[in-house]
Order: sequence, then C-alpha cells, then structure tokens
Amino acid sequence: MTLTMALPKGRLLDNVKNLFASKGMDFSFDNRKLVAYDSSNTLKIFLVKNSDLPTYVNHGIAGLGICGSDVLYENSYDFFKLLTFDFGGTSMCIAGKKGEKLDMSEKKLSIATKFTHFTRDYYHKRGIPVEIVKLNGSVELAPVLGLTRYIVDLVETGSTLKANNLEVFEKLEDIKVHLIANPSYYKLNYKAINTFVERIT
Amino acid sequence: MTEKNQRLLQIPQGTEIIYLEEAFKHQQAVSQINTLFTSWGYLPVETPLFDFFDIYQELLSNKVQDVYRLVDREGDLLMLRSDITLFLAKQMGIMLSRADLPKRVYYSGAILRHQNREDISKNEFFQTGIELIGKSGAEADLEVLTLLVRTFEALNVKPVVHIGSRDLINTLLSAYPDDFTASVFTAVKKRDFPSLKNLLEGNVSSEKIPFFMHLLQFIGTSEEFRNMLKKYSYKPSEIEMEKIEYLLSLLDTLEKLGMGQYFRIDMSETGNQSYYTGIIFQGYLEGTDSAVVSGGRYDSLLEHFGFDTPSVGFSILLRKVEEHLGSKFTLPENTRIKEKDFATAFRKAEKIRKEGGIAIL
Repeated sequence: MTLTMALPKGRLLDNVKNLFASKGMDFSFDNRKLVAYDSSNTLKIFLVKNSDLPTYVNHGIAGLGICGSDVLYENSYDFFKLLTFDFGGTSMCIAGKKGEKLDMSEKKLSIATKFTHFTRDYYHKRGIPVEIVKLNGSVELAPVLGLTRYIVDLVETGSTLKANNLEVFEKLEDIKVHLIANPSYYKLNYKAINTFVERIT
Repeated sequence: MTEKNQRLLQIPQGTEIIYLEEAFKHQQAVSQINTLFTSWGYLPVETPLFDFFDIYQELLSNKVQDVYRLVDREGDLLMLRSDITLFLAKQMGIMLSRADLPKRVYYSGAILRHQNREDISKNEFFQTGIELIGKSGAEADLEVLTLLVRTFEALNVKPVVHIGSRDLINTLLSAYPDDFTASVFTAVKKRDFPSLKNLLEGNVSSEKIPFFMHLLQFIGTSEEFRNMLKKYSYKPSEIEMEKIEYLLSLLDTLEKLGMGQYFRIDMSETGNQSYYTGIIFQGYLEGTDSAVVSGGRYDSLLEHFGFDTPSVGFSILLRKVEEHLGSKFTLPENTRIKEKDFATAFRKAEKIRKEGGIAIL
C-alpha cells in the first residue's frame, strides 16, 4: 500500500530526499507541483509549509509527517513520534545585542519570537516573567530596531545572528527532527508503517 | 450584502448544523442503535447539559481546556457537557442503590468541546454509548465488547478495535514511583519507544527491559501475542501472567464467536483518563482522523462520586461514523401524488405509506 506523508518546504527537504534516495525511494517535485510519488511507490508525498504540517497530519490528510520538535511544540496535537532523525538538529536559543547579557534584574524579559508557546512555557516553568511579541519572520530585527531586547529563535550556525550584530546568550533546548504519525492512521496501517520505519532506520 | 446578513452568516467555531437528509441519516443511526441497546436490556438515561465544574476537574486532567465553562448567578463555575460518561457517572452515583445492581444504561446526546483555533470541526459533537454498572469480570467485559460489535453491524461499518489492559500495565509498573510511571505512560501513548527505552534503562532491571519494550509496543492478534510472550527469557510474575491470561481469554471468546476480526491486542492503548482500571480500547475506522469509539473498565470512577461500584462501557462519536454509513440510512425515494381531488390523493398516499413508502401530497 502507499502511505501518505507531508514534508516541510525548506531546510529539511534535502536531508529527507537524500535519506529516502539511499533507501531506494527517490522522489522529486516537477514543475512547482506539490504532490509526488517516490520511485518505489511506497509514499505519496505532499509538500507543505513547515508550520502547517501538523494540521495536515492531525486531519489525517497526510498519515505521516517529518517535522521539528519546535513546530510540534507550537501545536498541541497528539501525534505518535515514531522516529528521531540524526539530521536537521538545531537549538532553540535566547539571543540579543552583542556585548549585552541576559539581565534577570529587569522586571520582565521582553522577547520577540515565532515560538510563543515554547517561550511562554519555558519561562513560566522557571518562574521568570516574560513579555512576548509574536513575529512571523526576520526575528533578528527586533533587538536591532528596539522592538524587544531579546529574541527566542532557532540557531543552526549563528551566521544570521552574527550578521545582525547579535549573539546567543543561552541555549534553551535541543531541537530534533521526528517522524510523526496521525494515531488513527498508524493504528489502521501499523504493519506498512513499521516496515517503512525499519526501511529508513 | 447587508451588515445584518453578513453577521448572520458568521458561525462560532465548533458549532454544527445538521439538516434535512443529513439529519434524517443521523436520526436513523441513533434510532437503530437505540433499538439494539434496548434489545440487550439497556435503558435510556438523559444527563443534564451543565453541571458544577469543580467536581469533574480532577477527572478531566489534560482535557480541561476543551471544556466550555461559565459562571452562574451565584458565582459558581459551571461546565457544559463535554463527555456524557462523566455526567452519567455522577447521576448514577446519586440515583443508584446496591439493590439496583447490575444496571444497564444507554445514552445518546450532544456534547460540547472547545475546538482548537486551527482545528476546523472534529465532529466530536454527538456521543452515544452504554454503561454496564455494578458488574465486574469477564462476562461483563465480553457483554460490552460483543454489544460493540453488534453496534458496528447495525451501523454497517467495520472499524478495528485496539484493546489493551490498564490492569496489566498498572501491575507491571506497581513497584515503581509515580513520576516514573507517568513518564512511561506518556512515552507509550506517543509510541515514542526510543524515549521509553532510555527511561527503562535507568529504572528497570535489565532482564525485564526487552520484555517490557516488546509488550508495550505490541499490536496484533492473540496468536501473535502468545508467540511474542514465548520469545523472552523473562518470565512474568504470577499476577502479571494472570492479567495476560485474562486478556487472552477475552480475545479467545471473541474469536470463538466469529468476532475476532474486529479486535487486536494493543498495549499502547492506555487511555487519557486516569480512572481506567481494566480493559481499555479504542476503535478506528478507515478514512476518519481519530478514534471513533473509546471505552473500557473503570472500577473507581463512580467512587469519585460517592458510590463505589465497578463499571464498563463504551461511547461512540457518532458524527464521525455517519460519514461512512451506507445506503441503509439514506432517505428512501418518495412519490408525489397528483389527483384531481384531495380525497383520492389522500387515499392513494395512505396506501403507499402503509407499504412503507413515502408519499407527498
């Protein structure tokens, strides 16, 4: 049977392509198309926006998905976490202007981020008051332009931070990439999915 | 478009309107199921639409956010019915006396759950189900499981029911501290077995680990389950074995009755609710985004409401199933009667109606 899978546009796609190709499941999206089958007809793949991926899997439109724990955290859906990949790992960090440091004596930390749920929970759990401003991209601008003093964001190489004269103050969490499944889809197709998981590990 | 019309066309997230043919199908399904439940000796129960929130709070655990809450005139916090099972348990606690037991009840009604902002309609709006109260043991569990199969047949759908044993898992984990078992439950529920392995490695003796891992990952038939058990050098304790044998004996009986194809053993069915104590199951139907049936044994739920008695039951999210019902539930063809005078038309229509048809004057 053919399994349905959502893949995120962007940085993870090449990693996934290489991994699947090495297991005999080549795929590519022709001509700006967003749906493709792999060469062994194991998968029907949908290419979706990273932050929409959990929605597709939650509704069972795609039974499986590959997604970072950062995105999963921002959605409160229940998924099965079938596998953790060794590629695509990154860190969730708090950063600010170079030369400054995290000033805990302030009455609250003001933070701009895409990851509002993660940031709120992280600091609430530690009893640190925070003021959060939601941004959808170019988060590095916030401290530069004075919107907030800090940002919480994913840091891979740190080159974007550096280019904007920012630096990491603290790493908050390791972010890993997972193979997730819609629970109901998994339970109905567990044999085919287990075979697939064994194939790619 | 006028401003008023525009306002009328806006609907709050999570509301649902069922009308005409679709409503007919819905009512047909409810009526088929009610007839079936009645023929098994179950009687209907209607629960209130709202109740005090505080008495349910502990039982709702991570579902608290799904509940609509409101404040009454005295300032008490109320909740709208989000799960009939819970409201039913309280009602039963108040109504029943020992002499009434065992009691068989069924319910069907609307429930209200807050819908996730990003999550358009999950169809979790109508719940129908049964409870067998005051009876423990295999006969009661089997009664509920076989009635569930008959319910599927009445609806003409073929879900697969994954059945686990909270009793067995609780026994396996009884020697370990609460925070450890809570983490184990979370990992098993997510089928996050790498995390489970890490957890076990620090806390459980090494000869038990492969057995634990395979047991908790297992999904399959009772025969496959028996084969899996044979593979490990670790011998389950007498009490663990007793729980395993119990589950297998249920499956054996179901197979004997020709219902085996509906069931699989699945140890990762541990349930959200803290009150499950025995068998626990969920049913999955091809083409739906989440479980359509859930149920199990909860011997301590009624105790929460002051009446300590065992209970087992299931509930179906009927609107999810309805999308997959066959022609059996669709509106039959109707006949338009056109005659010169009303009396002739009336008589002709009556004749068609008597034969079970639909006649429209």
